[in-house]
Amino acid sequence: MTNARPIRLSTSAELTIATPEGVVFRLPLAGPASRLYAMLLDIVIVLATVNGLGLLVYWIFSKAPGFGVMVITLAEFAIGFAYSALLEGFWNGQTIGKRLFHLRVIDQTGLPLRIEQAWVRNLMRVFDALPFAYLVGGISVLSNPLMQRFGDRVAGTLVVRQTPLLPPREEPWTYQKYNSFMNYPSVAMKLRRAATPELASLIQDALRRRNELAPYARREIYRELAGYLQSEVSPFPDELVEMLSDEQYLINAAGVLFGEQRLTRVRR
Amino acid sequence: MILDLERFQAQARPRWNSLESLLAVIEGRPDHGLNPAEAEQLQELYTQAAADLSRVTHGALAPELRQYLERLVARAYAELYYDPPKRFQFWQWRRWLKIFTAFPEAFRRQSRYFALAVLITVLGCTMGGLAVRYDPASVDLLLPADYLRDPGKRVHAEEKGENRHVPSKQIEAAFSAQLIRHNIEVSLLAAALGVTFGIGTALLLFENGVLLGAVAVRYTQQGFGLFVAAWLLPHGVFEIPSMLIAGQAGFYLARVLLRRREDRDVRQTMHEWLVLIAGLALMLTWAGIMEAFFSQHHEPELPYGFKVAVGGAELVLLAVYLLVIGRRKTNDLAQTRVRAEDK
Repeated sequence: MTNARPIRLSTSAELTIATPEGVVFRLPLAGPASRLYAMLLDIVIVLATVNGLGLLVYWIFSKAPGFGVMVITLAEFAIGFAYSALLEGFWNGQTIGKRLFHLRVIDQTGLPLRIEQAWVRNLMRVFDALPFAYLVGGISVLSNPLMQRFGDRVAGTLVVRQTPLLPPREEPWTYQKYNSFMNYPSVAMKLRRAATPELASLIQDALRRRNELAPYARREIYRELAGYLQSEVSPFPDELVEMLSDEQYLINAAGVLFGEQRLTRVRR
Repeated sequence: MILDLERFQAQARPRWNSLESLLAVIEGRPDHGLNPAEAEQLQELYTQAAADLSRVTHGALAPELRQYLERLVARAYAELYYDPPKRFQFWQWRRWLKIFTAFPEAFRRQSRYFALAVLITVLGCTMGGLAVRYDPASVDLLLPADYLRDPGKRVHAEEKGENRHVPSKQIEAAFSAQLIRHNIEVSLLAAALGVTFGIGTALLLFENGVLLGAVAVRYTQQGFGLFVAAWLLPHGVFEIPSMLIAGQAGFYLARVLLRRREDRDVRQTMHEWLVLIAGLALMLTWAGIMEAFFSQHHEPELPYGFKVAVGGAELVLLAVYLLVIGRRKTNDLAQTRVRAEDK
């Protein structure tokens, strides 16, 4: 279990910002895949707009088709750049595709980006798109700790992930009526000392996703987690373990870690 | 648990909620504007949320709450410390017109990079010209297209109007749009290649110069010097300088990227680069129109002398524009405010 994947907080790349007030916060960066999907969606939107506009222009210029072609060629070119630049500049760093995929372009100091930055990063696409299919930009994203393509590096911007978050709700184990672990203060203390933040959130997630896991997988995961905890917190009183299923064992452990119950000082 | 999470959350939730709703209002505004009362409220709620975050980070095991608070603090921080640009409206046409003075000013401020672009292009021209002059074998390599290698046929065809099957304004209009678009794309690439520390920009300019020199020498050798001047000058006097300005923008970008990160004034840099791009896009629009509607008309329709004279007049106008417009302003106001990249 020691090489279990730590939970979402530390898996993805992130931007750490220390404010002048001494507050430190982190922003999760967007990976290349979601950015690609957002871009594809934006391309579809631009193409649809240009084609719709094209029909209109051809109708207006039906007496002078050459000038119609001229207008639509230039409009297509201009819209291709202006769509992203203007939307990102005036819509707080989001195009329609980025909004749907919960992405946002921001300044690399954590502030909203400026219209100049939006223009620069989008004009630089001519370089990032080289030699085909955004190869240069993709390599840049993968090789840069802040996941910036060259346009982002020049403009000093980056793309962050912004899935809407709600304040966490109460979990059942934080108000357990009775937790047998609490009768053994030494065990509870050891457990609290042994639990790293990663392990604690692993237990929490395992419990929370109870219904998403297949029964067999659930049994295995809970058994492994419980086994690991027992090996960490030894010696473990046998009478405590014998009575409990692995799941109840984990619930109790979570109750100790996250709950509010005071340790009951039981004289034995 | 050092922190009683349950009670803490119950106490703090109202202020988190009011911070969220305040942020939603501000973020919805295109200029992120704040009135004094809102600014005060934002400052207060931000400080509280930051303190809450710090307590959760150090005093509790609550990864999700921490993540939520980090997000909230990040948003508030962004709004609080953002210095919004001056209110800009699309219908302020005067501001749009400013590009016409800003462009020559930026051009003159960064003229050293223009000189470098000229130098590299001239070097390319010389190499191309010498190669074609003294090494006939290189002609096939340097001038891949038939019409470039064998000017006689092309000139004949051009003069008889054979390439213009439907000699109409319609075709010319569509053609000009293609030219404008293609030229702007190439120039933009030259300017963007500044991120390769200028190497890509230099190669592009050099290649361009070689082709230019080779064509000029080839046509002159075969006695079509006047034709080619009349054919290329009316649009070339805008097209070639704008390519050079694209090189200038590229070298400027390269120079900025070579500076230490903390020495860069990113905002000013980007503004300068964008102004150069916008200016060359305007120049290329004019060049594209001239190329399609004017350059393709030859003798007897238009005398070559006249076409060359038009080209020369354009060049003079362009030079005057780039060197003189907004000069007084450059000397006192802009120069103190905007330093050239020369330290």
